Amino acid sequence: MLVILERIVPTVLSVRRLQNADPALIRAYGGDPDRHTSLGLVTCDQDDAMYVALDEATKHATVDVIFAKSFYAGAAHASGRLSGEILGVIGATEPEAIDQALEALLRCLEHDACFYDADGKRTVTVFPHVITSLGEYLSREAKLAPGTPMAYLVAPPIEATIGLDAALKAADVTVVRVQTPPTETNFACAWLTGDLDACEAAAVAYAAAVVDVAATPRR
Amino acid sequence: MDGLRDALGSSDPLPPVPAMPPIPAPPERVYSPRPEKSAFAAEAARHTTALVGIGHVGTRYATNVVLQFQAELAVAHAAVGAELPDGWAEDNGFVGVRSRVTSHREFLLRPDLGRRLDDESLQKIRNSCEKGIDVQVIVADGLSAVACMENGKPLHDAVVGACAARGLRTGTPIAARFARVWLEDEIGQEVGAKVAMILLGERPGLGTGDGLSAYVVHGPKLGNTDGDRNMISNIHLRGIPPDDAAARLAALAAAMIEQRCSGVTLDLGRLGEVAGGRGYRAPQVRQKLVGECS
Repeated sequence: MLVILERIVPTVLSVRRLQNADPALIRAYGGDPDRHTSLGLVTCDQDDAMYVALDEATKHATVDVIFAKSFYAGAAHASGRLSGEILGVIGATEPEAIDQALEALLRCLEHDACFYDADGKRTVTVFPHVITSLGEYLSREAKLAPGTPMAYLVAPPIEATIGLDAALKAADVTVVRVQTPPTETNFACAWLTGDLDACEAAAVAYAAAVVDVAATPRR
Repeated sequence: MDGLRDALGSSDPLPPVPAMPPIPAPPERVYSPRPEKSAFAAEAARHTTALVGIGHVGTRYATNVVLQFQAELAVAHAAVGAELPDGWAEDNGFVGVRSRVTSHREFLLRPDLGRRLDDESLQKIRNSCEKGIDVQVIVADGLSAVACMENGKPLHDAVVGACAARGLRTGTPIAARFARVWLEDEIGQEVGAKVAMILLGERPGLGTGDGLSAYVVHGPKLGNTDGDRNMISNIHLRGIPPDDAAARLAALAAAMIEQRCSGVTLDLGRLGEVAGGRGYRAPQVRQKLVGECS
């Protein structure tokens, strides 16, 4: 029997702390050398789970996400054993704040944010995640107030397209941002907002549509 | 996401169990080599209680063999755990003594304490036992109180009778509790016997919780070693019957007194057939503890 929508737990590939980073380095990565003297660097094989986890980290400590970028073509084509799909860099004045933030970030990656298997073979995956309350990082990216619920929906191109249609029709949600393919990892992404129930209904409809497309690609 | 997963069928009931393929009947119990073709195997199996000629069913033992094995092991366990009841010695006409051991568990764990008399028993022997005798016979529980209670008294009486027939003087009958073999040295030394003989329950084996062993030493004294002793084991109805054993033990004691030695220096060749030399020995018979199952 097909077992679908099993969790695919992200693998954290490296976690390093960098204290007293050089100002030129901090500036190059988009930080403020006066405020971001301590850095925490994490790589992981699921970029969207990492964006959610970075946002989660900003809720637990006074840190800023100064750099977070996906790598081209994704974790299956990584440049090295530790590269994965994304490098995230958080910065703070105090090393203790970095420790607290990393703890929250790793907990979120382990227990919360993850891709799901949409076809039982892990050849199609979906990220139908609902953030119940936005943190400082994604609220800034999404230009929403911190604390707003948001559905963070990712899938491969055709699945994402049909899934987004299903999500928008399933609940009273509005589009915050849609990234059409191709992106760095060649997935497509949609951010929707509404009240929490609406976001969850939209995420479920999105996942159901992705599973449907994966099962019947031609119709 | 869990709700969606269930809705999409992950929690469907399991598919029906497929029909079982026919199970082949177990193979016949076979003997290897087959007893009807090998007179040697059949004869060998009759002459030992070892697990010889038990056959097999496929790659396994037959059920009745396994049950017999488990029953025999249970007999051995029960014999190890048994204790001689208080007053057993007096009820059977013995002078009761005990070693320095205070409990059954200590007896199993401390062989050294089982080799010495406690002070009260020492006084009792000094006060009430006959001195300057030829043979001191001691009955003891050893590692199997069951054997001592079943066969101890009959064997003791048979040995005393056999010694008397040879003109050997036996002393006061003594029964020792929590005793190890070397306890005979201290008792024999106290009563001044020429030969000390201890009849005690032997370490239980499979199905033989009732076996007695007899250890005989000339010139008992503290410090004798096992090299100074002669012994006869497997004294029970399926092994050496108590009457045969008594005759051999009396002959052994007489030879020790005659040769003034025991153990490795004793010349057993001069004892003749009676001491169980190299003559015919009747086969041991296995006691059936469970019925035939196959």
